[in-house]
Amino acid sequence: MLIKLKGGTVYDPAHGIDGQVRDLYVQDGRIVEPPPGARVDREYDLSGKIVMAGAIDMHTHIGGGKVNIARVMLPEDHRADPQYHTERLRSGCGHAAPSTWTTGYRYAEMGFTTAFEPAVLPVNARQAHMEMGDIPILDKGGYAMLGSDDFLLRMLRDGADQKAVNDYVAWTLNATQCIGIKVVNPGGISAFKFNQRALDLDERHEYYGVTPRQILKTLATAVHELGVPHPLHVHGCNLGVPGNVETTLKTITGIEGLPLHLTHIQFHSYGTEGDFKFSSGAARIAEAVNANPNVTVDVGQVLFGQTVTASGDNMRQHANAGHAHPKKWVCMDIECDAGCGVVPFKYRDRNFVNALQWAIGLEIFLLVDDPWRVFLTTDHPNGAPFTSYPHLIRLLMDRTFRNEQLSRLHPEAQKMTTLASIEREYSLYEIAIMTRAGAARLVGLEDRGHLGPGAAADITVYTPDDDVERMFAKPTYVFKDGELVVKDGEIVHVTWGTTHTVKPDYDRAIERSLTDYFDRYLTMKLDNFIISDEEIAEDGRGSVTVHPCGGRG
Amino acid sequence: MSALTLTLKSAPRQRVDLSPLSAAPELTPAEVAALQVWAGKRRYRIDELFEIEGEDTRNLVLRGDCRKFDYVGRDARDLSLTVAGSVGAYAGMGMRSGTLHVQGDADIFAACELRGGLVRIDGSAGDFVGAALPGDKRGMRGGIVLVKGDVGARCGDQLRRGIVLVEGDAGDWCGSRLIAGTVAVMGRVGKHPGYGLRRGTLLLWQRPESIPPTYGDCGVHTLGFLPLWFAGLRRLDSRFADPANAFDRVHRYGGDLAAVGRGEILIRAG
Ligand SMILES: [Zn+2]
Ligand SMILES: [Zn+2]
Repeated sequence: MLIKLKGGTVYDPAHGIDGQVRDLYVQDGRIVEPPPGARVDREYDLSGKIVMAGAIDMHTHIGGGKVNIARVMLPEDHRADPQYHTERLRSGCGHAAPSTWTTGYRYAEMGFTTAFEPAVLPVNARQAHMEMGDIPILDKGGYAMLGSDDFLLRMLRDGADQKAVNDYVAWTLNATQCIGIKVVNPGGISAFKFNQRALDLDERHEYYGVTPRQILKTLATAVHELGVPHPLHVHGCNLGVPGNVETTLKTITGIEGLPLHLTHIQFHSYGTEGDFKFSSGAARIAEAVNANPNVTVDVGQVLFGQTVTASGDNMRQHANAGHAHPKKWVCMDIECDAGCGVVPFKYRDRNFVNALQWAIGLEIFLLVDDPWRVFLTTDHPNGAPFTSYPHLIRLLMDRTFRNEQLSRLHPEAQKMTTLASIEREYSLYEIAIMTRAGAARLVGLEDRGHLGPGAAADITVYTPDDDVERMFAKPTYVFKDGELVVKDGEIVHVTWGTTHTVKPDYDRAIERSLTDYFDRYLTMKLDNFIISDEEIAEDGRGSVTVHPCGGRG
Repeated sequence: MSALTLTLKSAPRQRVDLSPLSAAPELTPAEVAALQVWAGKRRYRIDELFEIEGEDTRNLVLRGDCRKFDYVGRDARDLSLTVAGSVGAYAGMGMRSGTLHVQGDADIFAACELRGGLVRIDGSAGDFVGAALPGDKRGMRGGIVLVKGDVGARCGDQLRRGIVLVEGDAGDWCGSRLIAGTVAVMGRVGKHPGYGLRRGTLLLWQRPESIPPTYGDCGVHTLGFLPLWFAGLRRLDSRFADPANAFDRVHRYGGDLAAVGRGEILIRAG
């Protein structure tokens, strides 16, 4: 079947196309060159419409242990937000921690076609994939979490050589079916269990004697040398601590030019100035990002309202547990090899800290010059649920709206931000970079996030509206792999996406020491830890897509 | 105007969420008839399930076997609702004002998270009367619940404000985690009364089998506020309104010292 998308205004930054009227042809789920003389089976007249690739969320907590803990802990989140089943859709629920089906529907309804779970604990990877396997329509993938695992910390303590670490990292990516490596509070999750309540960049883990800097350097090198396209994905030290901007800046310079992605950097950009000893470090962070082309960031924007924070960072979540709203929280060990903390939270615009967090996030968006290196996230659900993306896009694109929102915030917070004076407004082209072309390039998806021949036909069509929030909330059409899945903001057809992975080569010898280690210390055998392609494919609904690694080792 | 009377045509096979009916005071009888409710995986119009007579939509009467109907009177305002028989779970949940009168029994979570008004149950009620929903941190926070029969376990769990009156017996963990407010029981109470009680009062006519070890014995007192408190119940159609059942002399136990410990169990003395 040949589909023609006729006369839409196309934004395809991967090919430098900035709002040009073009025809697109789709065949067998792919975008193709206009086939000479071929009969078009279905034509969509897109004149006056805006056409972009399907959006990609490169950091969103949609599967795995902590999301389930959040679901279990917050029945009220589900009760208050039911989604009834229809002829086409299954029932579900949840605002901050929606159920799997609802997650897929709501993302697709906003024109998103791919999403990545950034905190897959290797020992829980099967659960994360099984959950994501129940998310319809979207393509998905995960970043495997290392850095507080006993095996790596032992290696570092014992001075293992980089090659051995590379093998372990590559083995982990293969075994867990992930596409990237994430580190959360490097070493800190483990240190917390040894009663350390903070671990700065150069502080030693009491038991292993290893510092976060060493962990970051080693893992970033491994990821780089293995040729994994996605740079080491870092949730840094001292999340949420006033003054952590210094740590973040040291992290940027300390990595010595290696590719590094700093996630939810908003939570790591705080100074200690002012009457409340809490201030914006956004300008300094943006300056450092601008000056270091090896560094990319996603923001982790805070938006006001009730949500839940779910993180592997048990150390910082424990410190923040007193702010839980409603008053309940969980911090737990996971299989003696990781941890997590789930703390429900309500961001309030009349609260000085929350208001300034909101402003800091926006400052970072607007002060980082290169939209290829800053990504649109709320760190769902930590800063806000992903359903608030259209609102966030409007804040970036519409200065009048932004300043009007700013004027409602805590007055002291308004005095502490330069936001009102920032004139920049994002263009549609820049939004398309941030949410499509840039995100695909960052994660290493060569056939997503763009509209060139050969790309998967994940396409979102919007009808222009003065209110871009409305426009981005309700696309006119969404195509997933060439199939129409959304019309006028409503699901018309449910499909199943693939799971994106990388499978770098490694020396199989690592499996010998790992087998011994698993037998001795872990809760399962090595063979059971490894997730096969068949498990992800399940009954044929899912599939594994392997993206190439260009080994540099 | 006569009350809008809904007579069940036949008992549904699935449980029915009847909460949409709480909007009745703002609707015409025809609009009430057209309301959609869920039963299992199907949706029904109210008039598919009930014969409808009368016109006063502020005044509803449900007739027939309503034991499979849940959330009757949920979040209602200024609605007077009578169930001429027994009702399902979550009856009167979150109700703000008005009355819910169940002439038979109510299932679990009756009057849970009630905010105002009167919930009266002539028969017995299940577990978690006036409690918080699972996961929530606050139970009932206003209004009065009157149960003429017995109640199940965890009566008044996390109750925040308001009064629960039980003429019959109460099950185990009566007044558990009670935050503030009053639970009064004329009959017997089960094990662990006032478990985790923070503030507020458990008022008992009969001595429980045992007082939890985390309560301190404060001796026997005459409390001046009790006659005032009973006087406040005079208008109720209840044994609680009968001066013969009132008293002012109590044995007081302070606790639960394992929680905040500013509450009390008061037991009628002498
Ligand atoms: Zn994080
Ligand atoms: Zn995150």
